[in-house]
Amino acid sequence: MSREKDAANYALVFFAALSALLLLLPASKFAHAARIAVSYSLYPSMHYGAKYGHFVRNVPSNFVKLLETDQENRALKDRVRDLELKLRNASALTAENERLASALRLSRSLPWSGTWARVVNKTPSDWYGSFYIDKGSRQGVSVNDTVLGMQGERAGLAGRVLEVYPEFSKVLLLTNGAASAVCAIEPGGLEALVEGRGARLLKMNYVPEESALAEGAELVTSPGGLLFPPGVSVGRVTRVYPRESFMNFITADVSPAVDVNTLKEVFVVKRNISGDMAWVRLGDKK
Amino acid sequence: MSFILELVLYAAIGTSYWWWSQNLSFYGLAPNLLFAAALAAAILAGPVKAIAWGFFLGLYADMLGAGTLGGYALTYSLLAYAVHTLKRHFDMAGLFPQLVAALALSWLSMFFYQGLSLAFSRVNPLGVKIFLVEPFLNALAVPVVFQVFHGLKRRTGIL
Repeated sequence: MSREKDAANYALVFFAALSALLLLLPASKFAHAARIAVSYSLYPSMHYGAKYGHFVRNVPSNFVKLLETDQENRALKDRVRDLELKLRNASALTAENERLASALRLSRSLPWSGTWARVVNKTPSDWYGSFYIDKGSRQGVSVNDTVLGMQGERAGLAGRVLEVYPEFSKVLLLTNGAASAVCAIEPGGLEALVEGRGARLLKMNYVPEESALAEGAELVTSPGGLLFPPGVSVGRVTRVYPRESFMNFITADVSPAVDVNTLKEVFVVKRNISGDMAWVRLGDKK
Repeated sequence: MSFILELVLYAAIGTSYWWWSQNLSFYGLAPNLLFAAALAAAILAGPVKAIAWGFFLGLYADMLGAGTLGGYALTYSLLAYAVHTLKRHFDMAGLFPQLVAALALSWLSMFFYQGLSLAFSRVNPLGVKIFLVEPFLNALAVPVVFQVFHGLKRRTGIL
């Protein structure tokens, strides 16, 4: 203990003497050298402290700014989300507007009177079979009215009205396996029956073997058909099958003029078919 | 290795003190980390090393200021010796003795340094504001610095 005390005393005397020297001789070479040496040894910490001090100098205010930025960021994200929704909605409205404008332009050129209707429901299990439109008996839609779809600048046969309700109707598509239409093959006007088969393509039957049917031939509804007005585009022949040995007719695949996958609006042609046609129901081949 | 670590610690304390007083002072008031470090080192280290730490930390304070060179060096050397003496009678590792010692020794150091400064430079270095508030800030800083030093001593064997 005494030895420790002695050491402490010696140390105190030594450092006190050193301090006293510095105090007593502030302008001496020794004091000056000591100041320079210590200043030089302090230089790195002060230099780098000053250099990087700005990173932490404004920590409190920066933290507040960070919080404010975060809040602003959240608000802006919400706003961007709202605007994106509005933009999508606007895009859909613009597309619809373009479609309707095009349809209106076309409807003026159509030789038939009728009404435009929107496709309101498609059933995936009956995709090529039928869909619903938002016009019914109150808008003057009747059973067996012809339903046209627009494909580009052209109107094509989509199907016919199968069931009518006050505010909506059910449309039987031409691609339905139970639907058919009597068609004329352009330009000669040779008649054949086009039938749906529950798929995208139609099937053409009863084409005389000797007819010069070729791929790419245009089909329109025949004047001899009862349900559909004549001259409506039905589709185009995509493949001709050779005659079967047991048949006198040839068959062909027909690509419909209207793609039911892209239909959004349809034009319902008022046919005013007389009451004696009321017997035409699903499955009647006309 | 221990010596290098002590040098690093010395530089770190000096830089922290300088940086704190530059950037985190509140109305010109900040805890005197050099004082706190000198006191903590005096509590933890042996007498010679404690006085050496006091001297060099004081020298750092002298260099940062424009006052009398050697004033703080002598003050903190005496502080370390006083703590060495106090350690024989009190358990300075406890929180309460540290708070009391920090308060009392802060004021004593200030008085002593003021006396030195008046005697050698004819200037009064300390304002009333610092005289009244800084000891309390020091009292808050000392236990923290002590815990840091204590942890370092336990892990690395310095001090």
